[in-house]
Amino acid sequence: MTRRTGLASFFGQRWAFVFLLIELVLFSFLGGGFFSLNGFQIILFYSTTLALLATAQTFVIVSGGPGIDLSVGFVMGFATVVSAKLAAGFDRMGLAPEFSLLLAILITLAMGLLPGFVNGMLVARLKVPPFLATFAVQGITYGTALLLSSGSAAINVPNLANVIGNGYFMYRVQGRGFSFFTRPDVPRGTNVFEIVPTMVVVTVLVVAVAAFVLKRTRFGRHTYAIGGNIDAALRAGINVKRHLVIVYIISSFLATLSGIIYMLEYVTGKADAGSAFMLDAVVAWSSAGRACSAAWAACGERSSASSSCRSWKWA
Amino acid sequence: MGDRSAIAASVRAPGAFFAVLARNWSFFFLLLSVVVFSFTGRNFFALNNFQSIIHLATTSLLLASAETFVIISGGIDMSVGFILGLSAVSSAGTMQILYAAGWSPLTSVLLGIAVAMATSLALGLTAGMLVARFRVPPFIATLGTQGIAIGIAYHICGGFPVGFIPPGLTEIGNSYLLYLHPPTGAWSFFARPGSIAPTQIREMVRIFPVSFFFIIVALLALWHLLKNTRFGQHTYAIGGSMDAAVRAGINTRRHLVLVYVLSAGLAGLAGVVDLFQAGTGNYTTFGAQLELFAIAAVIIGGASLSGGKGRIAASAVGVIILKVLENGLNLSGVDPFYRYIAVGLILIVAIVVDQLFPDLF
Repeated sequence: MTRRTGLASFFGQRWAFVFLLIELVLFSFLGGGFFSLNGFQIILFYSTTLALLATAQTFVIVSGGPGIDLSVGFVMGFATVVSAKLAAGFDRMGLAPEFSLLLAILITLAMGLLPGFVNGMLVARLKVPPFLATFAVQGITYGTALLLSSGSAAINVPNLANVIGNGYFMYRVQGRGFSFFTRPDVPRGTNVFEIVPTMVVVTVLVVAVAAFVLKRTRFGRHTYAIGGNIDAALRAGINVKRHLVIVYIISSFLATLSGIIYMLEYVTGKADAGSAFMLDAVVAWSSAGRACSAAWAACGERSSASSSCRSWKWA
Repeated sequence: MGDRSAIAASVRAPGAFFAVLARNWSFFFLLLSVVVFSFTGRNFFALNNFQSIIHLATTSLLLASAETFVIISGGIDMSVGFILGLSAVSSAGTMQILYAAGWSPLTSVLLGIAVAMATSLALGLTAGMLVARFRVPPFIATLGTQGIAIGIAYHICGGFPVGFIPPGLTEIGNSYLLYLHPPTGAWSFFARPGSIAPTQIREMVRIFPVSFFFIIVALLALWHLLKNTRFGQHTYAIGGSMDAAVRAGINTRRHLVLVYVLSAGLAGLAGVVDLFQAGTGNYTTFGAQLELFAIAAVIIGGASLSGGKGRIAASAVGVIILKVLENGLNLSGVDPFYRYIAVGLILIVAIVVDQLFPDLF
C-alpha cells in the first residue's frame, strides 16, 4: 500500500461530504429552482424521516459485522399507523387535540421499543443472524400494521398534526419582526418568510443526540468495541448481550420516532410508509459511517432525487 | 456436511425420532400445513389448487435456487428480485419493438430472451467482480446492481407493464400437458381439444402444467450442479472456509464471479418465465421483496447465512412452504395481512430450531 497524502486521506474519509458538495454545485446549475432557500428547506423537510431511519440503522451496523436491521422501514410504517389510529381514536373520544396527539405519541414511542426488544433478544440471546431476526420482525410489524389500518391509510388525525408537522420554526414578516412556531396573523397575500421547518429542527436535534451518544459516551464506545471485535469486547468485560439488546431497541425507537414525524408531516398512517426506505437507510449509512454523516448522506440522496425531478420538469 | 451416521449415532438413544424430526422439520411442517389447510381451506385439497400452487411458485423456485448458490458460498444476493423485473421488462420491450417492426414472432421472442439474459448476466458479472476483485461486501455490491436494475427497468417501461408482445406466449407459459373432458371423453395434449365448446371449459380437467415440467428439469439440473460437480463442491468449500479453499488451490475469485453470474442468470430466466406466464413484462415493485422471500425460503430450508450449508431440495421445500401458507391462509378465509405475520413467526421458529439443533441440518 502506498501511503496516502494528507489531502487524499482527508477526502477519502469524508467522501460523502465531498460528494454532497459536488451534487449541490452541479444541481444548482442543472436544476431549475434548486439553489434557493425554499428548495433546500424542501429537501431537508423530505429528508427528515430517512435521516432518522439512517441514524437507527447506524447504531445496528456499527454494533457488528453481520449487524443489520431490516425492520426499520416497517417499524416506521407500524408507528405511523399506530400513532395515527390512536390520535384519531382519542380525538373521537372528545379529548383536546393536544392531549390526543401527545398521548398517541407517547404510547407509540413505548410500543416502538417492543420490536427492538424482540430483535435484540433473538440476536443476542438466541444467536439468530440479524438479517433473519429482523426480517421476521419486519413481517410481523408489517402484518400488524396492515391489520390495524385494514390495508389502507389511517386517517382522521386531528388537524393539529398538520399544523405541527408542516409548520416552520420561524416566520418573518417585513416590518413586524420574527415569530416562532406560529404563523403570524397577517392578511392573505402578505409576504411571510418561512425559515426552517419545525420537523427539521427536531430531526437535527435527535441526530445530534444520537451522534453524541455514539461518539462521546461509554455506550457509544462499547458499541464500536463490539462491532470491532466481539471477543475482545467480551474479554474487556462489556456485557455484550445486554448491550446488543439495547442497540436494537434504540434502532427501533428511532424508527418509531421517524414514523411519528411522518404521521405529523403527512397527517396519515400508512403501513408501507417506509418500505422504499428500508434499503435506502442502509445505503445512506454505507456511504458514510457515522450518525451525523449518515443523515447528511440521506439529505444528499434526497437532493439528488428531488433535484433531478426538477431538472426534468425544467427541461 | 457428511458424517451423518456419526451424528445420528450420538443422538440415537432416546432422541432418534426427534433428530429425524429436527433434521427434516421443514418437510414435516409442510406436510402438517397441507393437512391443516385441507380441513380449514375451501377447495384447498384439490388437484387444481396444488397445480396452481406449483405453477405460481415457478419464479420463486428459480430465485430461491439462485439464492441457494450465493448463500452457500457465504454471500447474499439482494438483486435477484429486481433483475427478475428487469429481465421481464427488457425481453418484453425487445419483443414489442421487433414484432412491431415486422419481424416474425419466433425471431422477436428469441431475440427478446437473448437480450434479457445478456442484461441479467452482465449485472451478475458486475456484482461478482465487485465482490471477488474489489472486496465489496456482497450485500452492498448486490444492492448496487439492484439499483442499476431498478433504474434500467423503469427507464424501459416508464412505470407501466410492457404489452403488445407477440401473441401466444401465455398459451405456452400457462398450458398443461393433458386436457381431459370427462363427460365427452375428449382429450388432447398441450391445448384445449377443438371439440370442446367454451361453455364446457369449466368441466375440463387439466393435468400437469408445463411450468411444472420446466421447473423439475431446472431444479434437477441445479441439484446435480450443486451436489455432484466440482463447481458445487467448490461452492461449499468457499462458504465453509475461504482460507481453506484458497489453500486447497481453488480459484476462489473466478468461482465467486461465476456464482453471482449464475445467480443473476437464474433471476433473468425467472423474469422470462414470468413474461411467459403473465403475458406482459412487469417490473418489480419495491414492496414485493422477492429477494427477501427467496432468502427466507433458503433459510427455512436449513441453509446458514454464514455459508457452507444448504440444499436445493430443501430450499424448494422452503419456497413451497411459503406458497402453501399464502394459498392456504387465503382459502381458509384469513385476512391476507396475517400472511406477513405468519411468515415472520415461522421464520423465528425455523431459526430457533436451527439454533437448538445446530448439527442436525
